[in-house]
Amino acid sequence: MIKLENLTKSYRTNHGRKVLFQNVSATFPEGKNIGILGCNGAGKSTLLRIMGGIDYPDSGRVVTDQRISWPMGLSGGFQGSMTGRENVAFVCGIHGIWREGKRRVMDQVQEFAEVGNYFDVPIKNYSSGMRSRLAFGLSIAVDFDVYLVDEVMSVGDAHFKRKCELVISEKRKSSNFIIVAHAMQLLRKNCDVGIYLDGGQVKVCHSVDEAIDLYQTRMPDSQRQKNEITSAVNV
Amino acid sequence: MGSTTSRTVWQTQRDVIYALIIREMNTRFGKWRLGYAWALLEPALHIIVLAAIFSFIGRKFYPGIPTPLFMLGGIAPFLFFGHCFSKGIAAVSSNRGLFNYRQLRPFDAVLSRVLLEFTIYILSMIVLLALFAWFGIRVTFGNFLLLVEVNFFFFCFCLGLSLVLCVIGERLPELSKALPFVMRPLYFISGVFFSLEQIPTEYHAYLAWNPLVHVIELTREGLFASYDGKFSDFRYFLFSSIAMLAVGLLVYRAHWRDLVRSQ
Repeated sequence: MIKLENLTKSYRTNHGRKVLFQNVSATFPEGKNIGILGCNGAGKSTLLRIMGGIDYPDSGRVVTDQRISWPMGLSGGFQGSMTGRENVAFVCGIHGIWREGKRRVMDQVQEFAEVGNYFDVPIKNYSSGMRSRLAFGLSIAVDFDVYLVDEVMSVGDAHFKRKCELVISEKRKSSNFIIVAHAMQLLRKNCDVGIYLDGGQVKVCHSVDEAIDLYQTRMPDSQRQKNEITSAVNV
Repeated sequence: MGSTTSRTVWQTQRDVIYALIIREMNTRFGKWRLGYAWALLEPALHIIVLAAIFSFIGRKFYPGIPTPLFMLGGIAPFLFFGHCFSKGIAAVSSNRGLFNYRQLRPFDAVLSRVLLEFTIYILSMIVLLALFAWFGIRVTFGNFLLLVEVNFFFFCFCLGLSLVLCVIGERLPELSKALPFVMRPLYFISGVFFSLEQIPTEYHAYLAWNPLVHVIELTREGLFASYDGKFSDFRYFLFSSIAMLAVGLLVYRAHWRDLVRSQ
């Protein structure tokens, strides 16, 4: 169970503080895969980071008894000057995975990421697709109760997306996912419950479709059409 | 599958520090062929240059102690201090990516760096002492226990200082630009190439405020039996290092969330 209690988060801007969440309380249903929707700048990634414990709200807190992964996103988490192998070893280390376990994770990541010889090349030379494959493969290889996925899947090619979905459906037996994405089809396929962020409020919907409807109605028609088209292309 | 069994806080702390130190060693020494040698070369070069200058002038520093050894006693602690200083300021900004993992906070980055610097300092000192002894530059060893004490508290001092600096580096960027300029004058007034005895007593009142002077004096006293640190004050140094550590921990505790929080 993940519970937000009186969460307030604001950002400093040149025109005073911009409030992202104002005194938000919400309970995320247990054992469900959750999709988070919202316009750009609605605070999806920030919410994910707060849940992941790497960013802090101005007031309020997140209560949970589950092991939550770090948000797998496109940026951060990797040291560009170190090789993929060194980065994976480091993440294993801080999660207390040494020796035998580390070797297993290493093999698994290498197999999933399909970076081949690039595994021993500094990360800064990776393409964004390679980086996201590595990020996804790495966080999946470490065991958590809840995985936070922040737009990683939108960069890769079709092959990578299919692989991600395979892994997610496999992992869903033992863990849950909280996914931020703009591709509706992806959310429909992978999530049971939707959360819609708008105007500083967090709305927990009982199904993804409900949240998607909310999200679509808030959007001008032309953009909605475009969105449907792109998500159709995505799949 | 890498299973993350639930760990106690101490286990987590240990894993994080261990992983960070391995990572630091990779980035510092790994890609550079001269990496490990540089840890020795840096103090060695300082000593060679200073020793050359002063032997050229024809001055003997301290009766009974060869100049290179005298320098080593000053340079090695000072370089450790200097590294902690510069790394402390940059600790948060250069490790942004690391704070993507919740168990890794700025404290861990600072602690692991200070630990690594301390290890390098001690090892380079031992190796250089051995090298000098090999070439016949040696004196009777002083007080080992004193050395252990001084270095233990010196470590506390540098850790506290780094914690303060990591907060300053992030919260007061203007000040952190100016701070490195302090290092130059400190090099000259900290007794790297003099001993307090050689300074007229009326200036002691000013110089003795600097804890580094006492570190260096006490280190020499510990290293060389014939060195008599008449003016070093262990109790003052003890007090200042404990105070520095306390201030560092307090400042860090008051600000640590703001260091990683998106503003």
